[in-house]
Amino acid sequence: MGGPPTGGAGPAGDLATRQAELVATLVAGGPLPSGFAPAPVDAARRALLGKRGGDVARHWPLLAAGLGATWPATFADWAAGRPTNGSLRDGWDLARELRDRGTLPALGAEELATREAVTRYDGRGGPRPRRLPAVGRAGGAVVVQLAGRVRLLRPARR
Amino acid sequence: MTGPSGVGIGWRPEIAGFVADLPGLRFVEVVAETVAPAGPPPPGLAELRGRGVTVVPHGVKLSLGGTEPVDPARVAHLASVAALVDAPLVSEHIAFVRAGGLEAGHLLPLPRSREAVAAVVANVRRAQAELPVPIALEPIAALFDWPDDELDEAAFLTEILDATGALLLLDVANVHANARNRGRDPLALLDRLPLDRVAYAHVAGGAEQGGFYHDTHTDPIPAEVLDLVGELCARRRPPALLLERDGRYPPAAELRGELDALATAAGFPVVT
Repeated sequence: MGGPPTGGAGPAGDLATRQAELVATLVAGGPLPSGFAPAPVDAARRALLGKRGGDVARHWPLLAAGLGATWPATFADWAAGRPTNGSLRDGWDLARELRDRGTLPALGAEELATREAVTRYDGRGGPRPRRLPAVGRAGGAVVVQLAGRVRLLRPARR
Repeated sequence: MTGPSGVGIGWRPEIAGFVADLPGLRFVEVVAETVAPAGPPPPGLAELRGRGVTVVPHGVKLSLGGTEPVDPARVAHLASVAALVDAPLVSEHIAFVRAGGLEAGHLLPLPRSREAVAAVVANVRRAQAELPVPIALEPIAALFDWPDDELDEAAFLTEILDATGALLLLDVANVHANARNRGRDPLALLDRLPLDRVAYAHVAGGAEQGGFYHDTHTDPIPAEVLDLVGELCARRRPPALLLERDGRYPPAAELRGELDALATAAGFPVVT
């Protein structure tokens, strides 16, 4: 719909293309579309990261608490240029990355181990509840899940 | 069922107990996407309905300003929630939230162009065809503008409202934020908006950060925004005013103080 295409970057027409460019700038590390003021758009990009970090912290309260004052920067560094897959998966992917880097805090390790014991998540699709007994491990924490009941067998290294 | 009136508050599960204890409360708003359409309504919200409190579903993810036709499933959800809470109207934003297969996770501004007016009008009409009640449209707060505006804000909004017959949900904090971040006079906008179309108004707190005023909903209402509520009411008082608070909920006494300040600024009865 709309006016004639102008190559996607012209001042008029092709609203769909220009909207897509703008969203890519804000959440996927795309270049600034022509004509936009850099500083306000960057402020909006940072504000979006802050809001998203708050949403992920609500889904991963122990992970965020474990990182404390470094949570906003840790999340923003990880999430910048990476479009969201929803707060649950974003927090999951971040926790796994921190685990692999060896920088996952103990509270986050226990939260991740619990999630891994309860839910199957392949990193691509939506997490699904496990039907069978399972063990979750992260950062030294060991969590067992049996018939939906969850028990922390061993706390994470502190 | 009548439209919202007086001072209300955005109903959120975290403050459901606080809201339930407000003796004079007649009106709340609930984020539509947080309510399961098949019901029952969330506990607390159902009790308010039982007390005759008006509940307005407020959508945040329709993306009425997107160039794609609005998703029929999202409209159906909003319609179901409206029926579930026996709402007199619903509301959504003049904004887009996704494009090119990517979710922005936030309300993004449109260019104030004829092309954008046409996109919004087409989507509002699609939604109106399926909604059981009227819709009120809310202009958003944005930190940046598009480079290719053809209309000013008042003309942009008026064209959309005239073409759709929709009501206006005026966010006083957004008016403040947009004017503050662009060095403009918020009263100049109030003077040009169709205030007779306002169904209700939003008021929220915000904070200065990095040289911008951010409409955070997690900070107290600044004096400038309360003053603007007074200016709005002096011109034409909206039927209702709603306090929005999302996250970092303060102690009950502080929230009560904000609701009282809002009632005082607007000349409405206190609800606390």
